[in-house]
Amino acid sequence: MSEPSHKDKLAEVLAAGMNRRSFMKLMGSGAGLAAGSAIMGSALVQNAMAAAPKRGGTIKLAWVDAVDTLDPHFTASLGSVKILNNIFNGLLKVAYDGKKVSFVPDLAESWEMPDDKTHVFKLRRGVKFHNGDPCDAEAVKWSLERVKDPAVGSPHAWKFETLAGIDIVDDATIRMRFSKPYAFLPVALTGSTGRAGTIVSKRAVEQHGKAFGRNPVGTGPFKFAGWRENESITLERNPDYFEPGLPYLDGVQILLIKEPTAAVAAMMAGQVDGMSLSPFQFIPQLKANKNLKVYGEVEGNYSFVGMNNRRAPFDDPMLRKAVAAAIDRNVIVKQGYFGEAIPAFSCISPPMTGFYDANIGKTGRGQRFDLKKAMEYRKQSKVQGEVNPVYIVAQGFTGSGGSGTRNSQLILPMLEKIGIKPKIELLDRAVWTKRRNGGDFDMYDEAWIADLDPDETIYPEWHSGKPWNFVGYSNPEFDKLISDAQDTLNQATRKKLYDQAEDLLMADAPLAVLAHMKVFKILSKRVQGFQYIPVDLLNLHSVWLA
Amino acid sequence: MFQAASARLAQTLLVLLFVSAASFAFLKLAPGDPVSIMLGADYSKSSYDQLTHELGLDQPVVFQYGNWLADFVRGDWGTSYITSQDIFELAVLQALPVTLTLAALSLLIALLIGIPTGVLAALYRNSWADVLATTLAIGGNAFPSFYLGILLIWLFGVDLGWFPVLGFVAPWEDFWQGLWHLALPAVTLGAWYVGLIARITRSSLLEVMGQPYIAAARARGEPGWRVVWVHGMRNVLMPLVTVIGLQLGGMLRGAVMTEVVFALPGLGMMVTTAVLNREYIVVQAGIMLTGLLFVAVNLAVDQTYQFLDPRLRRR
Repeated sequence: MSEPSHKDKLAEVLAAGMNRRSFMKLMGSGAGLAAGSAIMGSALVQNAMAAAPKRGGTIKLAWVDAVDTLDPHFTASLGSVKILNNIFNGLLKVAYDGKKVSFVPDLAESWEMPDDKTHVFKLRRGVKFHNGDPCDAEAVKWSLERVKDPAVGSPHAWKFETLAGIDIVDDATIRMRFSKPYAFLPVALTGSTGRAGTIVSKRAVEQHGKAFGRNPVGTGPFKFAGWRENESITLERNPDYFEPGLPYLDGVQILLIKEPTAAVAAMMAGQVDGMSLSPFQFIPQLKANKNLKVYGEVEGNYSFVGMNNRRAPFDDPMLRKAVAAAIDRNVIVKQGYFGEAIPAFSCISPPMTGFYDANIGKTGRGQRFDLKKAMEYRKQSKVQGEVNPVYIVAQGFTGSGGSGTRNSQLILPMLEKIGIKPKIELLDRAVWTKRRNGGDFDMYDEAWIADLDPDETIYPEWHSGKPWNFVGYSNPEFDKLISDAQDTLNQATRKKLYDQAEDLLMADAPLAVLAHMKVFKILSKRVQGFQYIPVDLLNLHSVWLA
Repeated sequence: MFQAASARLAQTLLVLLFVSAASFAFLKLAPGDPVSIMLGADYSKSSYDQLTHELGLDQPVVFQYGNWLADFVRGDWGTSYITSQDIFELAVLQALPVTLTLAALSLLIALLIGIPTGVLAALYRNSWADVLATTLAIGGNAFPSFYLGILLIWLFGVDLGWFPVLGFVAPWEDFWQGLWHLALPAVTLGAWYVGLIARITRSSLLEVMGQPYIAAARARGEPGWRVVWVHGMRNVLMPLVTVIGLQLGGMLRGAVMTEVVFALPGLGMMVTTAVLNREYIVVQAGIMLTGLLFVAVNLAVDQTYQFLDPRLRRR
């Protein structure tokens, strides 16, 4: 408590409404490790307190989302991240108290900032990887540098673009030096959605090479035990896990299931204890089952229709604005998502605490349904008469965001009213991806999911020339605002920059935003102690079976 | 004999070569590629190019095919792009036994139900039993297997809770658990075969029962069951075996749907996943295995002919 200025700055960086009181408690307390679990106990464990947890048992989960690899630095799938987060730890982790998302130390014990470009992490002592190697400063440095190393080729390397170097202060302290202030760092360093800050075992990576993704070794509550292709992944209890007494379960059996109907049937029949995710159409049925509990809140995501700025007819902003004003989001929410979503007015979603405005609907900001305005924009657009843009839609159930063809079929009659008659092309995932990446479309469906910070939800998606800006949107003024926001640590200033940027983006309408969606976990009522976190996580360290 | 066998072998290899080239070409013609799927949302041009190069997908298609074939015949089936698992292990040691077990059990169920149904229908021709059996047979044949699977799941898995609705337990590890887990999928897949077998049995038996030797057997005073099951069925077996062998393709096609619906990690599941992910070499492995299976079954059918019909035996 001797340097309050650091703490203030730090609290700001932790941004997004970090539970400040708990944080101070952690920082102030000498018994760092115990304090860490005290926080978990006070704020986060809600239903775990109902009865005394029981040790033992194996939980059986139906996994309907794809698992590509269990190498955290390479996965592109949230289905993998959900598993990984039980095998590995990050320097930080995401916490949620029912209202606010925050970033709290995980493998780190404390985090200080001597200046706004330098971050010093004190690590938990005595943490061991599953293979027995110590997880000390050396190991953490190596793992972080693995992400940045161009020769390794991690798709998350961009998250450490401004990382100038890592120094080992002592065997339990590292110093990360950045070339400029970096507001996104807390998210990047989490072991879940951030992935870049997930710490992997050096010896295991060197031993297995490319196959590390099938032989993951981390420090988490569960050890990887086996993977049978297209069948199951098994985890077993890590008796040396650093949170005392945890985990409660002996093991986890993850059944890999392609067909969600089959998983729902198994869930209804009580043959599995949980489901990693469920398509929207099954939710009413699952909620009606008395033996099940459906967890799900609106998460850090947005769905939208992207419009190709590079070619006619949507190179014309007026026509794009017309589309954005012609879509009735309430209909999309009700019929496209079965009521399990909220209308979106901009890209920033509720879990982005401190940036999301819950009253945005009443402020007049953002995109909204207004047929009169849509018709006016349409009259001012370059092309008059009927237009027939090509609208590409990915087939089937595609993870948290995908709703198949439902949205496009609802949008079609809405656009017809302003003389736009899209031709829907229903494509399998591989073809759709190819055409999206190549810019071969006029309109396309997309959802960006599991984001916690405005930077990750806007910057790579809509900044000129960035990788996920598939519609080719470019506005230098917008680019400048969101680049400045990246280097701004003061939250109030940062929010202002994002507000301005968003107003520009919504007015230019390279996309028509649709909804922020709930993401579901289904668990049987005998599964206790689950802590829901709104970034599509299924953490099992505190779970036990009644 | 040896000459005939080697000619057959050469023919078979030629067919497999053609099949492999065609499937490789078709998959390459389909738009989409594994790299963009592997990169998912974290797509960027440079990582795309790097990965494409690493996987050798930037080489001309003919080279890719040639390399694959050279490795394949040497027993090196490669590793999956996405999961980096050894493909031989995945296809032959993991997926194939699942599909073979499922197919065998389905066939067994189909025979146990189909033959008696067909016999019954033939013996009581044009009676209500015949109408019922024929209706069931045609129904089973026409009903889409994935839909039947879902109906069975809901009735016997969810509502009644008698059977597990998904997952595979190897019968050679735990016999009863294995059978229990395979019950619904095997009935689903077998239903299609029941119809086929019943129809063939009925029509063949009708024809056979009109033959003079059957009348002769009856005249000798042999019991009715013996006339039908020993004298009659003996000549029904040939067309039956032929049709079952020919329809193996139908069974493998049905297995794909059944495996996906019941989440069984067999060849069908493997190939479906691989096609959607554009994992060319995994699909190739699946197709080659299926091709080999076809050839093996045809050879086996040929061998049974000699066993079933003494006239075909070489002396």
